[in-house]
Amino acid sequence: MDRTGLSRRMVLGMGAAGFVTALPIFSIRSAWAQSQVALQLSWLHSVQFAGSYIALDRGFWSEAGLDVSLLPGGPNAPVEPPVVSGSALVGISAADYTAAAVEQGARFKILAVAMQKNPFVIASLPGNPVNVPGDLEGKRIGMALANTPVLQALSTLNDVDFDAIEIVPTQYSAQPLLSGEVDCLLCWETDLPVAMAIQGVDSVTMLMADHGYALHSQTYIATEESIANRRAELVALLRGEAQGWEAYREDTKAAAALTLEMYPDAGLDLRTQELQAERQVPLMFSELTDANGFGWWTDETVAANIETLALLGRTVTPDLWDRSILEEVHAG
Amino acid sequence: MRADADMPPDVLCDGLAKTFDGGVEAVRPLSVRFEGGHTTAVVGPSGCGKSTLLRLIAGLERPSAGRVEIGGLPPAETQRRGELAVAFQDPSLLPWRSVRGNIELALHLARRPVAAAHVEHLVRLVGLEGFADTRPAELSGGMRQRAAIARALVTEPELLLLDEPFAAVDELTRQQLAQDLPRIWEARGTTTILVTHSVNEAVMLSDRVIVLSPRPATVVADMAIDLPRPREPEMSRWPEFMASVDAVFAALSASMARNSLAIAAQ
Amino acid sequence: MTVATLAFIDKRSLRPGRGSALLGAVLLVLGWEVLARMLADAFVLAAPSEVLTAIVENRTLLMRALAVTLANGAAGFALGNLAAIALAGIALAFPRSQSIITGLALTVFCLPLVATGPILRVLFGPGPWPQIVLAALAVYYTTLVLLLVGLRATPSSWIDLMRSYGRGSFSTLVHVRAMASLPYLFAGLQIAAPAAFLGAMVGEFTGAERGMGVLTIRAMRDLDVDMTWALATVATAVAIAAYLAIGWVARRVLVADPPVILSPPRPPGWRGGGWHAPINVAVVAVAAVIAWWAALALSGLNPFFAKGPDDVFHALFLADNAGRTRAMLASAMWETAAFLLPGYLAGLLAGAGLAIVVVLFPMLAGAAMPAAIALRSVPIVTTAPLVVLILGRGAIGTIALVALMVFFPTFVACLHGLRQAPGQVLDVMDSYAAGPFQRLLRARLPAMLPAFFAAARMAVPASVLAVTVVEWLATGNGVGSLMALSASLSDYNMLWSAVVLVAALSALGYGGVGLVEARVLRIYAPEQLA
Repeated sequence: MDRTGLSRRMVLGMGAAGFVTALPIFSIRSAWAQSQVALQLSWLHSVQFAGSYIALDRGFWSEAGLDVSLLPGGPNAPVEPPVVSGSALVGISAADYTAAAVEQGARFKILAVAMQKNPFVIASLPGNPVNVPGDLEGKRIGMALANTPVLQALSTLNDVDFDAIEIVPTQYSAQPLLSGEVDCLLCWETDLPVAMAIQGVDSVTMLMADHGYALHSQTYIATEESIANRRAELVALLRGEAQGWEAYREDTKAAAALTLEMYPDAGLDLRTQELQAERQVPLMFSELTDANGFGWWTDETVAANIETLALLGRTVTPDLWDRSILEEVHAG
Repeated sequence: MRADADMPPDVLCDGLAKTFDGGVEAVRPLSVRFEGGHTTAVVGPSGCGKSTLLRLIAGLERPSAGRVEIGGLPPAETQRRGELAVAFQDPSLLPWRSVRGNIELALHLARRPVAAAHVEHLVRLVGLEGFADTRPAELSGGMRQRAAIARALVTEPELLLLDEPFAAVDELTRQQLAQDLPRIWEARGTTTILVTHSVNEAVMLSDRVIVLSPRPATVVADMAIDLPRPREPEMSRWPEFMASVDAVFAALSASMARNSLAIAAQ
Repeated sequence: MTVATLAFIDKRSLRPGRGSALLGAVLLVLGWEVLARMLADAFVLAAPSEVLTAIVENRTLLMRALAVTLANGAAGFALGNLAAIALAGIALAFPRSQSIITGLALTVFCLPLVATGPILRVLFGPGPWPQIVLAALAVYYTTLVLLLVGLRATPSSWIDLMRSYGRGSFSTLVHVRAMASLPYLFAGLQIAAPAAFLGAMVGEFTGAERGMGVLTIRAMRDLDVDMTWALATVATAVAIAAYLAIGWVARRVLVADPPVILSPPRPPGWRGGGWHAPINVAVVAVAAVIAWWAALALSGLNPFFAKGPDDVFHALFLADNAGRTRAMLASAMWETAAFLLPGYLAGLLAGAGLAIVVVLFPMLAGAAMPAAIALRSVPIVTTAPLVVLILGRGAIGTIALVALMVFFPTFVACLHGLRQAPGQVLDVMDSYAAGPFQRLLRARLPAMLPAFFAAARMAVPASVLAVTVVEWLATGNGVGSLMALSASLSDYNMLWSAVVLVAALSALGYGGVGLVEARVLRIYAPEQLA
């Protein structure tokens, strides 16, 4: 379905975005008597969610009678409210955010884990690298102050003297590292290092997940009510996701190309998206998923998550995770 | 209801008084009858409350005591029938309307049909020929006042209230207007009340002059002007005219002197 | 492009000083180019040539994004201004309601975007409505206050004229007030146009598929400096074009020139000062709480994120961790105040100061005005990251940005005020051979005060918006960041408490400046208080 092609012509033709942006949803709704579900993404459209685009593009969902809208996120678009209020059936969150929301009284469960390894890295330049957590001592790190608990957890896990690290509050950009304001950055493996690489700057990344920071990211969450009442739809939705991400893994370049084709207005750069798609693979697929399927987790990985969450000041129990939907997906 | 709708209405002020919210007493209880079909001039020193009297008659101020009747009816009723027109000291033309537009607005507000020829005639009469489509901002102060007079006349009101209508008009034009305009309201027998501080103007235009004291206003003199109609500029050299002017002046000076003595005595 | 834009402004709106304006624009662009080349390795500044290249290379993408954001901004512009007209109508019909209407309108206007965005997204779901509503929210207040002034800007003799023909308030509205308010309405629309565009951009942060806001986030993340500046340039050009277009329409429609009003007068509730003010504040506060409670009850939003007055009260005073919540809020507010107050004061002083300099040296006006019009139209979401890039994340960057937001409206308002000094007074000064300094001190400065204070009042919400946006998008400090963080951690009690505090303090700040103003104007410009 060429949703964006339609809207682009309309925008250029009449410039009435008020109608136009509403139109694709309209056209889908009137197309089939399928069941409507929305998946709330955690950020703007990009290859970060390319598995979902493949599922949409290849009809993995429509074959299963599901009409899925992918709702983009953004800097002012928390995932939890639409999921709580039911305007999205499933949201893409992370274990720490979900734990926080549950503490505030939301009845969420984690249904599947797209990123087995947390994408947080310490990025530095080759001339002054951070290869292991111990290298952080004496360094200036650029990060949002809000992420201080993350760095504290990493220090505790690796016996690093937290007070020996100088935190420089920065916006989320590689610029402070390049201008020499800081020695390293706390960021995602898949964004700022990729941006630097595209600008021709080599960087060193130390994946925190390789140093004990176990925290499920890009997790699929739904409310207990949905799990009880809309089971079939949840299973169909996650099955499509699993199929989409398996297809993604086979050809990340094609996934990046599809992303650009489906969202030409997102201002994406093909090379950036290709590189990001490639770097995402080792975070999402492991021996565990090879053995059990996309999104899987075990009691051991949950236990490690609970330990990390405790360092972040979150008390959670294993029943935050509910694998029953995923088991149905991979059984069928 | 009024006995005869075609008769120009009398204006009756009965025990009329006005004290403003701030405590300023503008008009002290005052009773006077303005005869229908006649032109009465009200003169008095600056700030004596003569404009307030006019506004009370027009129904634009609520009296603190007493009442105003126009042909036996309250001012609001006359307003509603569009039978009253005021030419304000400030011309109060709407700046986004042309001279013609401002004059036509009065017809519209008084719920009268718009007769283009009549409007045209009035524009000529007040000496604004060629300026009908001009906006007020481009007119001189005197021209604006003449437009405001034309606006007041266009509805052919039964009661015409003029508040210093010639204040900003130059001497020559003033003489011309003083000669031309009264013919309009005299011909229709309009009851006209003219407020002015020019004694000459009062005598020249009116059948009767009422002299008010300094504030709060009370009537200190009330005299008839026995000059033939229509009035001509050269009448101002007639002895009768000069006598009337002298009498008005005398009344004015006496009231002012009394007032300053009263102040001195306090 | 930039040169062409500035030249266009000069030609259309500034008849005198055309040559110096053009020269100023050329020098500005040249300086920009040189500076950018010097800083090429720092990834902060793109040269005009690079910006131009980025615009040309991405022209179709930019056109599509612009069409979307512009359409949403236009819809919000229409909606917000219609709402303002409706509210002004109600206030006119029921004069007693006016202080409550303006007070509530101000409170809603002061609600931080960080908090309103996600709620609008949940209310309206996917599609353009959150963008449109945020654009509407960004414009309705300025239009409302200007319109209220305009509807009352009628000499009493016009009203007398209507009454002398037995016509009541409806005829007066149709024939007099509506027409008399048009210049004020147009002045309001002119201010609203860039604001609506900004609102639509911020609305896209709540999860939109396309638009200028989406591209801005993307370019920042991708370290695409050329594109970031290209987006800022296009957004600025559009905002200026909208400003000028409305000015052009106004000159076609209006008989007289629209008044240069950059900041509206105080809500009438503040006018009396004395004992009126606290009562009005209390009435508005009660009305706000009732409206808040009613809105939640009617919208049926999930209580997980839609907190009511009782929830906030509980979180702040009754809950186990109430002390901690209060302490966090206090420290965040304190941190914000440390940026806000110096920036606000610096902006006011610099604005008034430059206006004075321009009056003393009139040839500078041609060069200063285009820059002032241009920079007051720049959407803050594009400037905030840029200013922080250039000036750093320390206090200086944030303070400078707040000062910038305050500076331009103050400058233009003060300049207008300074030039309003009554001609006769200046003639009297001339007859005593008073020098320019004497004239300034004794005639012009007193004439400037009303405009200065009006600008100072309107600058309160603007500077709060600026500081919270910078904290949220760029520096990660203070209450702006606290609100964003609370939203991401689902701590909606904290978020709503912060929202209440920010809105209430902004509204009180607005009123507080109004009280100072009433005292000063009583001496220097009593006619303004009549």
